[in-house]
Amino acid sequence: MNYSHLCTPTDHVLSRRAILGAAGAIGLGSLLAPTRAAELQKKHKQVLFIWIDGGMSQLESWDPKPNTVFGGPFRAIATSVPGIHVSELLPRSAKIMQHLAIIRSVHTQDNSHSAGVARIQRGDPKNRGVTYPYFGSAVAKLLGPGDSGLPPYVWIKPGSSGFIHQDAGFLGPKFGAVAFGDGKPPENLVLHESLKPEEDDERNTLRQAANARYARGRRKQMGEATSYVYDVARTLMKWQDLFDTSKFDPRDVERYGTHEIGRHMLQARKMLEAGVTFVKVNSYGWDTHGDNFNGHLSLMPKFDQAFAAIVQDLADRSMLDNVLVIAMSEFGRTPRINGHIGRDHWPEAWSVVMAGSGLKRGLVVGETNDKGTFVKGDEHDIGALFHTWFAALGIDSKTVEYDNGGQPLPIAHEGMQAVKELLA
Amino acid sequence: MIDTRELLKKFEPAKDAKIITADPQVRSARFSPCGKLLVAGGFDGRVRRWNVADEATLELPALEGHHAWIDGVAFRQEGELLFTADSWGQLCCWGSYAAEKPDVNWRLEAAHDGWIRDVAVSPNGQRIASCGSDQLVKIWSIADGGKQAEIAAGRDVLRVLWMPDGSLLTGDDRGFVKHWKDDGSLIRQFDAAPLYTLSRLQDVGGVHALAIDREGKLLAAGGTIPKNGATVTGPPTIFLFDVATGEQKHKLSLGADSDCYVADIHFHDEGFLSVVTYGTPGAGQLLYVLPEEGKPFFTRKMSNLHSISWHPDGKRLAVVATNPGSNGNGRPLDKEGNYVGNKSPIHVFGVSG
Repeated sequence: MNYSHLCTPTDHVLSRRAILGAAGAIGLGSLLAPTRAAELQKKHKQVLFIWIDGGMSQLESWDPKPNTVFGGPFRAIATSVPGIHVSELLPRSAKIMQHLAIIRSVHTQDNSHSAGVARIQRGDPKNRGVTYPYFGSAVAKLLGPGDSGLPPYVWIKPGSSGFIHQDAGFLGPKFGAVAFGDGKPPENLVLHESLKPEEDDERNTLRQAANARYARGRRKQMGEATSYVYDVARTLMKWQDLFDTSKFDPRDVERYGTHEIGRHMLQARKMLEAGVTFVKVNSYGWDTHGDNFNGHLSLMPKFDQAFAAIVQDLADRSMLDNVLVIAMSEFGRTPRINGHIGRDHWPEAWSVVMAGSGLKRGLVVGETNDKGTFVKGDEHDIGALFHTWFAALGIDSKTVEYDNGGQPLPIAHEGMQAVKELLA
Repeated sequence: MIDTRELLKKFEPAKDAKIITADPQVRSARFSPCGKLLVAGGFDGRVRRWNVADEATLELPALEGHHAWIDGVAFRQEGELLFTADSWGQLCCWGSYAAEKPDVNWRLEAAHDGWIRDVAVSPNGQRIASCGSDQLVKIWSIADGGKQAEIAAGRDVLRVLWMPDGSLLTGDDRGFVKHWKDDGSLIRQFDAAPLYTLSRLQDVGGVHALAIDREGKLLAAGGTIPKNGATVTGPPTIFLFDVATGEQKHKLSLGADSDCYVADIHFHDEGFLSVVTYGTPGAGQLLYVLPEEGKPFFTRKMSNLHSISWHPDGKRLAVVATNPGSNGNGRPLDKEGNYVGNKSPIHVFGVSG
């Protein structure tokens, strides 16, 4: 039988069958120290990770420098927290600033998309010859799936669906992302009408027998992974209302926005309510090398609408105590304005906004200089943010380690530490 | 039939230009109707002025009091009035604009809620129109700055100009040009919708340039036909309409996708359009084109051009460019370690005409 490691376009189209089929290729990574895992299970923490792909401009969002040479055309506006101002393009977020924590002193190492996206989402640890997991995979590993039975790492994104095992790095593919393209469910999720429940049970019994046979003579993790992925698919069958947008409250749809990021963010809230540990929402199209200001004038209100709506909803549901919210890009954008009236890539001094679990609320940490060109005072790299986020989730990143087949590995850059000013 | 060779003999820009460097960048530069000044609205909230009446082209003191970007610059010759408008919504009328320290005749701090995109003085010199991202067009008395009319345009209005008969034209972010009576009633809509697209979340494009011929018969709406958002690309394009009928007469495609936006258009009395474009960093064009021919009969590649202004003597034109190498993801630092921004070389070309 011919076999290729190369993907074909259909390989990443998610279906229940595809999930089941993929199980055979999945092995389990190493497990967290059992005592720690048990402790974390007591109070299930969750993460909403909003990835603004391409680079949101810090100057047109969280760190405005109005009326300065690189400040652009927009004004800054007051927020619900006296003394804190954000761009006028964030009027809704300004009203919920009491829930937010902004860090304006982010300074990272990579100014390219191709390397930067992965480098940021993997936490840019010291190079040990292994591929670190994305933050989503790390959280899926460290916090587990919770009680819902839903996959611990869900990715709502424009475009195609699939099982994105690459995110998991050395943890093993089980900790990859289950991606729902445009928030759509896996194909063929509903049991075929010709199939009776008792027949499905018979199929399940047959599957278990087949699994047991398959598992004989193989590593234990292989069998576990097979069962895990099958269970994910069966669980999703029970959660079809997560995908049936026609049943969403029209008032919610209106509040979040009918645009892509609004729809996806509302679905993210549903996923969090259902108990998914880590929900990532992607928005693409932010790499505004040209026409940056008209671009942000159009993009930001849609982000603002959806972001403010979900943070407020999480607050109203008392979920912010357990849900850590992060919105960020792979870098910021240059202060200088190029001839295409755009801004280029700028990892030197940019901003990340957060809210929720384990964080102080209604504050700004760090600052840039008057023109917004560089960080004034302490710079904070992504490794420091990883430590901060782990701490906010109740994970001691100085003591908890990954066990990569006997190789202990820190979960965040050991040369860095949490930004204590952010932590509650 | 217009002979383009004859036009070139008269109007081809000289090979070398006098360059006035605006540091930091400016949005556009316009000659005053008296011909004494070149005035530019800055990225830094300053109105820059250069004396172009003599060879030295010395800069006069900048006009202060604006904020952020100054996109609106217009003149009235009588009384030497200058009107400037900024992205925070301020509209200002300056008297004796060529003086060392011009008077502020009036200043409206909040003429619009936010970005004023353009201003234009009425043909009779009594009124000024402004338009902005608050989706409003407003008409003001030049005498005292009193508001005379307000039109709810329903979209971000990027350009405004007056027709010779006192009616108004606006160009919006969806690629529509609307012809209004000054009481706000709509006369006609011109469909240049290909100048707009929705790319993922982003509304891209719109009417970035708007011009009318002297008789008010032919209307030019320029921009790009956007291929994508984010780093916008698309061919610079002008749609020409018969004002009386609304019929699209011509479509001019003026470059490659990387050339992107038509930034400014000027109808020359001798029947051709002079046009500037800007695209991906470094890509810019100064073009002459006859509406009916479609292809430019003169093209000069320059670095990102943002405005064009003909001197009243007809023998000079000024285009605002951006310095080469304006982009990049690295740290542009000077020898002292300071972060380096970009500049606007304003090229003042002589023409033989």
